[in-house]
Amino acid sequence: MDQDLPEKHPLRILIADDNDVDRLILKSLVRRLGHRVYQAVSGAEAVDRYRQHRPDIVLLDVMMPVMDGLEAARQIKALAGEQMVPVIFLTSLSEADALARCLEAGGDDFLPKPYNRVIIEAKIKAFNRMRQMHETLSRQRDVIHAHNQQLLAEQRLARKVFDNIAHTGCLDAPHIMYRASPLSVFSGDLLLACPRPSGGLHIFIGDFTGYGLPAAVGALPIAEMFYGMTSKGFDLGEILREINQKLNRILPTGMFCCACLVQANFHQGELRIWNGGLPDGYLLRPNGEFQLVRSAHLPLGVLDADRFSTDVVIIKTDPGDVLLMATDGVVEATNRDGEMYGEARLQAALGPHTGAAAVFEALQEGLQAFTGDQQMQDDATLVVLEMVSGSLLPAVSAQLVLEARNGPMHWESSYKIEGPTLSSFNPLPLLLHICLEVPGLRHRSSDVYTLLSELYANALEHGVLELSSAWKNSPEGFSRYYAERERRLKNIHGHFIRFHFRHTATDTGGKLVIACEDSGKGFDVQQYLNNGHGRTPYAGRGLALIQGLSESVRFHAQGNHIEVVYHWRLP
Amino acid sequence: MTIRPHLDQDALAELQDVMEDEFGVLIRTFIEDSKSRIATLRQTLASGDNDAFMNSVHSLKGSSTNIGAPQLGLLCAQAEVAGRAGQMTEVRALLAEIENEFHVVELLFERWLCSAT
Amino acid sequence: MPIQTRRSDDGQTLTIKITGRFDFSTHQAFRDAYEDGNTDTGHYVIDMTETTYLDSSALGMLLLLRDYAGGDAARIHIENCNGDVRRILAISNFEQLFDIR
Repeated sequence: MDQDLPEKHPLRILIADDNDVDRLILKSLVRRLGHRVYQAVSGAEAVDRYRQHRPDIVLLDVMMPVMDGLEAARQIKALAGEQMVPVIFLTSLSEADALARCLEAGGDDFLPKPYNRVIIEAKIKAFNRMRQMHETLSRQRDVIHAHNQQLLAEQRLARKVFDNIAHTGCLDAPHIMYRASPLSVFSGDLLLACPRPSGGLHIFIGDFTGYGLPAAVGALPIAEMFYGMTSKGFDLGEILREINQKLNRILPTGMFCCACLVQANFHQGELRIWNGGLPDGYLLRPNGEFQLVRSAHLPLGVLDADRFSTDVVIIKTDPGDVLLMATDGVVEATNRDGEMYGEARLQAALGPHTGAAAVFEALQEGLQAFTGDQQMQDDATLVVLEMVSGSLLPAVSAQLVLEARNGPMHWESSYKIEGPTLSSFNPLPLLLHICLEVPGLRHRSSDVYTLLSELYANALEHGVLELSSAWKNSPEGFSRYYAERERRLKNIHGHFIRFHFRHTATDTGGKLVIACEDSGKGFDVQQYLNNGHGRTPYAGRGLALIQGLSESVRFHAQGNHIEVVYHWRLP
Repeated sequence: MTIRPHLDQDALAELQDVMEDEFGVLIRTFIEDSKSRIATLRQTLASGDNDAFMNSVHSLKGSSTNIGAPQLGLLCAQAEVAGRAGQMTEVRALLAEIENEFHVVELLFERWLCSAT
Repeated sequence: MPIQTRRSDDGQTLTIKITGRFDFSTHQAFRDAYEDGNTDTGHYVIDMTETTYLDSSALGMLLLLRDYAGGDAARIHIENCNGDVRRILAISNFEQLFDIR
């Protein structure tokens, strides 16, 4: 009999019935279907057998001594937990409420007497399919759950890595208020702030197209360039150019970063703002008047270097003025009816104010009132900056002092360039790099660069190349001077320029002594000093600049050896 | 009163096929089990233990139906209904019929077993 | 383009915008920017919004422009200097010679 052939995967089936005849018949029927049978003659034994063998399907008589089928079903279902164990009651019960009690106890179906081979086979098959489906679903759910757990762990780790690079910088300064979602890295928003060595600060607020990992990956180089270049004293335009070029190279087409870079100069009472694709910003005067900071550029990462513009909007400010910039998550925040917050409501929330905190609060309240108790969207990032007077600048200095003390403080170095190298090599970037290893000097990089470049120009042009400053008296002479410079540069023999640096710590900061010596003939130092520095109106400004920037300048020998002492102070 | 055959020949044939060697064991088990249950029925009816009576008559009904003794099963079912309704005179009458029917069924089974072997 | 020029509608104001480093390498372009043969120019604006650095030769170039524009009578505004540029101009006392804002 073909239909009686055992199934490919025999099941393990528990039969519990105190009636020997019925149990014998059912056992034989189930065995003939190819399954393995465990038997029990009471409810209590059925539970024991279940615990022992964990069968796939349970066939239970309702009326049994020592725990009836209903209680046994309840206990077996409890033991099974998340596993699905079909429980089929063996009964010819006919009253509705008895059947209902079976179902309540966890029964999945009934098998009436007399037993019918075809029905038994069909039911076992059906419940086995259901059981397998449940197992597959459980397994897939477990796999998905495990994946999700791993993803979350990875995100937390990525967040840590990200935080190390894109730390909040000086966002915690008291004149800055901001809101950024805790997982904003993965929502595509980016908010950074960094003090500038020459005073003031830079703020970057950005919004990547897309979200998740790609946005976070794009955000990393931005953060690194922003902090690195800002703290080295680079200007807004140079930072934007670098970031744009980098993003242009690494981001796939269609992905870019709407962003705004703000340079706040507190001493000059001035804001320089580049807005590429972010919603209008607001410069809010205390009396409630405001000026829009509109987007005037394409987002970062769209244009190539040639077409990219770093034009900024310059706004003169008074202490108490407040700048507000936000990503589109703010104006696009929705209420329960799906309505957007919008520019008009935003402007209505902004009136006369008493500073950053007040503006921030008014904004939060306005948004909350509009969206109800709905959470603000993850991608709503905003920053509020108050222009404080220069003297009220918050003490970001504590950290800077600490940083300034780290790094090389006591060192000495010599660098000599000889012969043909003089004509082809510009040593200034290298020399600057050596000096800027001192964190305290990093904040004065412009001074150091000016000292180095003026000393070098003096040694090269007047000392080695013997060019006369007097030529620079007329436009024609100016051109001739530089043409001659080019020509003579190509023919240098037997000359050298030597820089010697000595850096030491002082009570208030540090002292850098730069000596520059060249192999030229020099000049009459005494005459230069006597003649009111003997300069023409158009040239000789190099030495004047050096004197203006430094503590002291000494001329040695016949004027071809200059020693400059430069002091820097802790912030 | 509904009358059914003492033994359902088709059902028995199928059962014999399913049980194979165990068929004889099954029949003997049935006879022993039924004897013991009928004794219980008489005893519990006399002592008024209604729950125990109902359990036994329900069980006997199931095994009779399963083994292919439909008339015995039917009588058990009627006794179950009467018992639940508390019609004890009716129950007593049915118990007597159950005993008679069982003797017939027992006899027929013995004959079946002899002819089968 | 490190040097860009723009003339006002009335033709009298010439704005010269310098991007990046203002040093000797830009001297020819800077000179070409103001020696354009236009005699209407009465007012010069040097836009330093995007000027990152100024060296001593640039100071010389500014003085040459001042001479070209009439010396003491010249009207030259230097605008939007960053902190570093402003410091160099200040050290050289250029506030006395130019209108720096």
